[in-house]
Amino acid sequence: MWRLKSVHHKANRSAKDLEEFKRKRREHEKVLRQARRDRQLISKRLLLNEDEQDKEFMETDGTPVSPDQMQEMLRSVQSGGEEKATHLAVLRKALRDPQTHLIFTKLESSMYVLVGQLSGHNAQCQLEAARCLHELSHSLHPGVGQSCLPATPYLLTYLSSPCAKLAELCLYTLGNLWTEGAVMKEKLLAQGIVPALANCIQNQRCNLAVVEAAGFTLSQLLQDKDAADTVIPLVISSGLVPHLTSILTPDPEFGFGPAIECAWCLHYIVSRAVDTSALLTQGVLSQCCNLLITLGGAVSKGSTEESLELLIWPLLRCLGNLLASGVCEGAGCPVGLEDARLLGALCVFCQSYLSSHFGLTRESLWVLNNLTAGSTVFCSALLFCNMVPALLQLLPFSKGINTMVLRILGNVAHNGTGYCVQLTQAGLLPALCATLKMADPDVVTLSLEVLYLVTANSPQIAEEFVKLNGVSLLEAIQYNNEEEQCLRASFLLDHYLHTHSTADNPS
Amino acid sequence: MLQSSLLQLLNGGDAARVYIHTIPVLEKSEEIQSVSGGGGAEENPSPFRFTPHTIRLDRDDEFFEDGDVHRHLYLQDLVTALADETQAPNVSEFRCHIAGCKQLFDTLEGYEHHYNSLHRHVCSNCKRSFPSNHLLDVHILEWHDSLFQVMAEKQCMYQCLVEGCGLKFQTSKERKNHLITVHSYPSDFRFDRTKKSKRTKEKKTLKQWEVCMAVSGHAVNQHGEPENCEAMDVSLPQQSEKQELPPEQQKPRYSYKVPSSICFGQGSVRGFRGGRKKNACLTGGSGVSGLREAPRSPGKSVRPARRVRRRGRFQLYGSLLLH
Repeated sequence: MWRLKSVHHKANRSAKDLEEFKRKRREHEKVLRQARRDRQLISKRLLLNEDEQDKEFMETDGTPVSPDQMQEMLRSVQSGGEEKATHLAVLRKALRDPQTHLIFTKLESSMYVLVGQLSGHNAQCQLEAARCLHELSHSLHPGVGQSCLPATPYLLTYLSSPCAKLAELCLYTLGNLWTEGAVMKEKLLAQGIVPALANCIQNQRCNLAVVEAAGFTLSQLLQDKDAADTVIPLVISSGLVPHLTSILTPDPEFGFGPAIECAWCLHYIVSRAVDTSALLTQGVLSQCCNLLITLGGAVSKGSTEESLELLIWPLLRCLGNLLASGVCEGAGCPVGLEDARLLGALCVFCQSYLSSHFGLTRESLWVLNNLTAGSTVFCSALLFCNMVPALLQLLPFSKGINTMVLRILGNVAHNGTGYCVQLTQAGLLPALCATLKMADPDVVTLSLEVLYLVTANSPQIAEEFVKLNGVSLLEAIQYNNEEEQCLRASFLLDHYLHTHSTADNPS
Repeated sequence: MLQSSLLQLLNGGDAARVYIHTIPVLEKSEEIQSVSGGGGAEENPSPFRFTPHTIRLDRDDEFFEDGDVHRHLYLQDLVTALADETQAPNVSEFRCHIAGCKQLFDTLEGYEHHYNSLHRHVCSNCKRSFPSNHLLDVHILEWHDSLFQVMAEKQCMYQCLVEGCGLKFQTSKERKNHLITVHSYPSDFRFDRTKKSKRTKEKKTLKQWEVCMAVSGHAVNQHGEPENCEAMDVSLPQQSEKQELPPEQQKPRYSYKVPSSICFGQGSVRGFRGGRKKNACLTGGSGVSGLREAPRSPGKSVRPARRVRRRGRFQLYGSLLLH
């Protein structure tokens, strides 16, 4: 069920040598991280045809196409007659080489010819022309995408084409073109790309390849810097959200590609939308929760290698941010989250991805924090399901993991004595003794906060802490230079641990 | 790891749903009242601020970087199970919290060993560090108790350094012989140093020592130590100087840092609980005035006095670090 159907992709081209691939990937990752920090993180996708697998690339790779050759190809397409489609296919293969893109766009009326074929009546030529445009849309040269502007009305029109192959091609092409700058975005929005996508997802519901493509294109739109003002209101008003939500049920045959795209779309909407109350009523919360539980089951059986994290990640974010949006507040449990196994699933993610996707562990903990903050229901469930020992095991890990665990423990302890006693029974105090010695000041401060909650709630716990040689631990903190920590340590010693520590003093 | 029952539930499909309302909700107790510690509570409002709150994260938040990068690696077709490299997650480092020390450790064991051997048993007068409470007690008695010399002339006062032996000797030389013959200690046992034997050497090292002091003083100021604490430390030796020795012979401070090759074991630590015995020593010689007040008002006023002593013990001076 959890097979990620490989989207016919370009990486296969060079992935002969695994070590080489890994090295390339590491470098690429570095570039992507920098791009994200600069808020320039964009991606394009390239769809390969079934008919052209590895062999065909080899043929074209060797010989670069000259401008004259390109001109010749174009001319033969124009005058092709019966064999137009074949000529277009030759052109498309030439365009596979990124260096030909500029040559092509500089030729006079080249785009005019291509759009002519795209809008023509010959179905085969339509498809081949769309493929040519798709190659061009993937270009890295900034001008090339711009030159595709005349084609966009047709690309949008064909989103409702009964031919799934054509619709899919148009979708990926539009998704790539969206990244080509402000003019392109303005044009596409004016030409009605959002309603067109909504229609497409609605009508092609049963064709999952098209749904996946539409999800990708929509996610490109939603990642825009100004999405909150422009795209998101349009998407919500066009009624796309229920459709996206309904796709969050992976198809056993096709795999979970469409669910990945739609889940990311929902994340982009939830993390930027001003009013999320509408999203809640549309069942986003319960759908995310159910799918996460299913995924938790799959991960616990050991299917971490199958790229499930691609789906888990956006679902966690939707859930976390919806919980924090204020709509869920109030006593009791938000509608849609009645299944306590959600906590178990989150714990499974925390543990399973610790070494492979550290960020996923951190985000699972963030969701746990948002679930337990101010909720006696979830705090009780956390204790009832005996998840505290699993959380305590995560305390040695830095980079946002132990601070988040301490927040969760604080959320539980804040509810009072009954909760504190159970935390202590689960082994909280020895774990705190270790975190109090850590170098990160945030960890120490949060540990002191949790310690305060448990010792102030129960003198027995204070006594137990003293037995663990806790007083000398706090005294060591008292004499360091972080004032925040000194104050807290002194306060604890003076107000909660003094009765115990003076006992071994002469009086 | 998680309970197997939970994992079964996760894989049990819809039928295995655990309705959250079937789980008993523990009673929530009242907010923690401000401590009823008498008048002190109002002067010192609680510094604790933690309240549970949900965290909303923006799409561009740094927190999301890993996931976003992974998503785009996938979009650019660079995600394959084979290429995903597993790496050991980052483990938090431990830091010695003693002002002026700040050493970092990879493991809790490393930190604890450092703390126990360097900060656990430190003489408040001369900052020497000892591997055990017993050796510290003996040191304080013999070095800083002004009555010791007088007493030693009348009775056996030099305790055997081996804990649990309990024998006492007239002179340190006798004790040394005892250590060598009975306990087969080396003749140059590091922690068997008498005050007198150092005097000749002391003048030579004085200058170097002053440098050390300057360094440590500077470090303390830089880190913004509360002034009164510092004053307290300084005052301790001064008071005792008047009672005992001419200033320049006072405090032959050496680093008694334990070489890293010698391990006394973590089990040797007994903490600071033997307060009674040591306090008795202190009242004899080092003149901590606060201690004398202790019996009058137990509880609060005892603590500051205790801390003065402990402060001395915790203080790690440059001499320890530089050597």
